[in-house]
Amino acid sequence: MTVRKRGALAAMAAGAAALTVAALATVASRPTADVGADEVTALAGTTPSAAGSRSPAPMPVRKGELPTGAEVVPPVGLRIPAIGVTATVNAVGINPQTGEFEVPPRVDQVGWYRYGPGLTAPAGSVVISGHVDSSTQGKGAFFRLRELEQGDRLAVTGSDGQERAYRVIAREEYQKTRIPLDRYFARDGGQRLTLITCGGPFDADTRRYRDNLVVTAVPA
Amino acid sequence: MQLSYSRQVAAGGVLAALTFAGVGALTATPAYAATAEVSAIHGIPGIPVDVYLNGEKTLDNFAPGEVAGPLSLAAGVFDIALTKSGEPVADAFLTVDDAEVLGGTNISMAAHLDASGEPKITSFVNDISKVEAGKSRLIARHIAAAPAMDVRAGGTSVFTNLTNSNEAKADMEAGTIQADAVLAGTETVTIGPAELELSEGTATIVYAFGSADAGTLEVVAQTITGLHSPPAGVPSGDGGQAGTTANTWLYLLAGAGALLLVGGRARVATARRSNR
Repeated sequence: MTVRKRGALAAMAAGAAALTVAALATVASRPTADVGADEVTALAGTTPSAAGSRSPAPMPVRKGELPTGAEVVPPVGLRIPAIGVTATVNAVGINPQTGEFEVPPRVDQVGWYRYGPGLTAPAGSVVISGHVDSSTQGKGAFFRLRELEQGDRLAVTGSDGQERAYRVIAREEYQKTRIPLDRYFARDGGQRLTLITCGGPFDADTRRYRDNLVVTAVPA
Repeated sequence: MQLSYSRQVAAGGVLAALTFAGVGALTATPAYAATAEVSAIHGIPGIPVDVYLNGEKTLDNFAPGEVAGPLSLAAGVFDIALTKSGEPVADAFLTVDDAEVLGGTNISMAAHLDASGEPKITSFVNDISKVEAGKSRLIARHIAAAPAMDVRAGGTSVFTNLTNSNEAKADMEAGTIQADAVLAGTETVTIGPAELELSEGTATIVYAFGSADAGTLEVVAQTITGLHSPPAGVPSGDGGQAGTTANTWLYLLAGAGALLLVGGRARVATARRSNR
């Protein structure tokens, strides 16, 4: 066995080690697999009110009074003990320039979609979105959202002072170009709480994440 | 050989065409449900009515300012008759024969006065297309025995010169507005002002009805929900700390590893050969 041969073997060993490390690191950084997608689909199709068979009912008649705003209970606080989140919830809408969800600028706060259902709505998806992080403020309230597992508990406080418990049933990741936002911003279907943040690969040029991470919870 | 080949091709083509036609027939049918959602608006002041559809009483003692429906009606033509409540259909004071109801539409039929005060029925097709996230649709309909009107929100004209049996509409920011109606081109308020809650993702239809001369101008409102769209996206991070792609250095490491492996094997092979 020559010195040359030993050197070559060492190089091979180093090469194999480098490949292994790279492969392991790649696997570790891959998005965690979706869980509970079927449950979310089922919830979207649920009709909570008893529609029943439609026999020829008498035509409903009402006074044509001017509409007044419906009673809505906005969420004001969110606690997720499993990932150490205690955040203020702000009522937010749409960014008029982009047509996108107006996530609160402060990354330690999260935003509730005020056009969608509130906490007492009999149906539909209560949506709360928060930053995963920010280039200027660091980690956001939802930095660890992807660590949530089925069965984890959340607590949402409403403007009525009442705290409501939820249980995680699903965690899904979608490319932003493919996410079925209709389903997550639905005002019908089963009662649910939808938490959304960013995830997946980060494009340093556009400073945008490729994916959205979505966690769905139901009243516990 | 040639013949049978072309026959096969022809048969295949016919089969493909049949399959295509079959699929087309199957998928085309449910896309246009042959029903219409029909609402009724009573805008004739002072007279409660009974409404007959094809001779059958559909609404009993329907009062001015009331909205009925929506009712799912099979597409087709209908004879509509209005009587003073309790009177026989033969004594109907307003009839429309062969009113056409198109499948897949959402319609509001308004019984009202024309500009000169005669009763009539106007069928409006409601715009139930989706509104953008954050928006609400306002539809104003003039069904009053009154001159042209302008509709204002917060003192600013949103619709101008709206005349009897016509509508104007716009999608605007959801929220509460102070609305009123003025005589077209003037500041003379004829209806309102009133606070109007324009809920996001809905259409609010406001009808001005009654008679200006008789001093009975008022409004009746109808709301259509479920027209909302989701936001265009949910941008929630620009830091990059949570990025999950393998970083560049990992690719470099993998590349170096591969090179070392290949190079090493080559050198081992040469070493073996020279040892022999």
